[in-house]
Amino acid sequence: MITAALSLALSVSLSAGGSGAGEHLLAGAGLFREARYAEALVEFRVAQKLGSPEASGYAGATLVQLGRPEEALEAFGGPDAPARDALLDYYRALAAFDARLYLAADRALTSLDSRAGPRVTSQAARLRQEIATALSGEPPRTAVDWYLARCAEYRGQHREVLARAFCRESTELGARRSDRYGAQPHSSSDPAARPALAGSRP
Amino acid sequence: MIAPLLAALTLAASSDPCAAVAPLPHPDPASAPLYREVGDSERAAGHREPALAAYRDALRNDPSDAKSRAALEGLCRAPAHADPFQEGVQRMQAGQPREAIPFFERARAGGPDPSAALLEGICWYNLGDDEAAEPLLREAEARPEHREMASYYRGLVALRAGSSSEAARLFDVASADPTLEHLSSDLARVAHRDGKLVLSILAESGWDSNVSLAPGGTFGPTSASDGTYGVSATALYRILGPSGPYLRASGFLHDQFQLGAYDLKGVDGAVGWQVGRGDRGALAEYDLGYRTFGMNPFLTSHQLLGSGWFTAGGVVWTASWLGRFESYDSGFSPFSGFFQHGELRATFPLGARVLAGLAYGLGHDSTQQSVLDFTEHGPGALLRFGLTPRLRLGVDAAFTFRQYGAYDPTLSAQRSDQYLDGAAFTEYDLSNHLMARVALTGREAFSNVDAFAYTKIVPTVGLAWIGGW
Repeated sequence: MITAALSLALSVSLSAGGSGAGEHLLAGAGLFREARYAEALVEFRVAQKLGSPEASGYAGATLVQLGRPEEALEAFGGPDAPARDALLDYYRALAAFDARLYLAADRALTSLDSRAGPRVTSQAARLRQEIATALSGEPPRTAVDWYLARCAEYRGQHREVLARAFCRESTELGARRSDRYGAQPHSSSDPAARPALAGSRP
Repeated sequence: MIAPLLAALTLAASSDPCAAVAPLPHPDPASAPLYREVGDSERAAGHREPALAAYRDALRNDPSDAKSRAALEGLCRAPAHADPFQEGVQRMQAGQPREAIPFFERARAGGPDPSAALLEGICWYNLGDDEAAEPLLREAEARPEHREMASYYRGLVALRAGSSSEAARLFDVASADPTLEHLSSDLARVAHRDGKLVLSILAESGWDSNVSLAPGGTFGPTSASDGTYGVSATALYRILGPSGPYLRASGFLHDQFQLGAYDLKGVDGAVGWQVGRGDRGALAEYDLGYRTFGMNPFLTSHQLLGSGWFTAGGVVWTASWLGRFESYDSGFSPFSGFFQHGELRATFPLGARVLAGLAYGLGHDSTQQSVLDFTEHGPGALLRFGLTPRLRLGVDAAFTFRQYGAYDPTLSAQRSDQYLDGAAFTEYDLSNHLMARVALTGREAFSNVDAFAYTKIVPTVGLAWIGGW
């Protein structure tokens, strides 16, 4: 399964050299494989504190399993973070999907291309189909506004990674509307003001 | 649909996190503060399980870490058992909504918990207790992350209660979530067309290949083909909602462009009572009908209808019976009498987008002349395809064996007919109220008397408006 594959990938990546952080990463991978996600997260978080650059990605995958997709996206560095391990990129797409960032999830899945193995490729295809179904019609204005409101909310909480992701989703959903409601590019101005601006358009 | 929600809320089971902590054989005291920091961070964010795991790891590495011990004891003191919310989720996932409810109630006992309120509300809805579901869903709706899902279920509750305008509003709110958009849009359309008062108007036009049911003639000049047009309108008033008494009035005209002698017009007034809802119920109805044929008085009828249905194993079983006292005018008076028809029908889904139905009917007409009496029976089938949320396709087919009651000296035969009926239609929702319809109906009639064997094909196009309040 994918969890086992994550452990394997992790073990391989660590075989090149050990460190204090590496031990925690390995411990986290073992716990992850046993589906003991809460404990795995703790190990990955400790590895992060010890300076492991890889730990955040694994923490992200674990947070997906724990049903905390927004935090997972922050751990991954956002839904559009540069690609790295195909499996972690799949988890990044899952996090985006669970956070309702469907377009972002689709982008992440598209970027998997041939890097992923057959199982991940198959699951990615199924997820893309779900996304295509969810987005087959013209997005309603209320949906565009919903993403914009989330953007403003996260910006208010200084969670910039999430704020950017939700703003981009809002813009791109707006671009899929025939009236391009909410589709204008974002400026640095307060996004919370945008619904009123957009609402004044014909 | 709620699977992702449940999955997101499900955590892996683990051994008792509050058991005594045994130190590691080779502890690393330097790591204890790091574990504690993780524990503090998780606890502050309200994530109990990771916090417990972190504090336990801190103590395994440094049993003297008083802060971690105090934090662990504090977490363990509060809830002595497993998280009731997770317990509820697990039972819900196992298809046990009634068993899940007490756990969600416990989860909410400590204070407002919109997630538990949402899932408990869904459980009550699934159990059919809308009164219990409504306040819980309303509580969950106040939280942005649950607003659309809660609105969706509140819409279902409103729809079930017959509050169609409220349901439509709630489905519109729910459709902000792209995963709910299609489902909500469909239901919003249903809601806009449902309610205590429903008005519908259908205007159609087409062509009838054989208006006079001419034998043998199909499309040639010998058959009386003609263009047709028609309008029908119905008003249904369900005084107390779907369950309770109702009144219905309807009228129609079905005219030929040229063969006015075959024009048919009619009005109906009905009063009935329905108990139960979609999955189980029954109704009884009386209908007074009047028809003209070629602008002349034709038929007055008093019809009684009884129907009952229940769901078992995903199949809706329906049994219905109607009896109609028919009084024909002038030249048609020998046809007057009592017609009755019974049918047993099973309707079931075939996948997510197809509904199928199988039926068998039995009827008898007692008239004033035994040569006109008949008994008929036969199977029928239907298929409904939801091609897209707005586009539907339907196909109906039936075969009927009809045996007349006596030897007819005029025909020198005791008449025996068989009818193969078919219909196909497609409907497209132009808006919440407006629908375009294209249909093709046909009949092939077989008879041991050649004069009664005929073919009839009727293609039509139409526009329907349906509104509910």
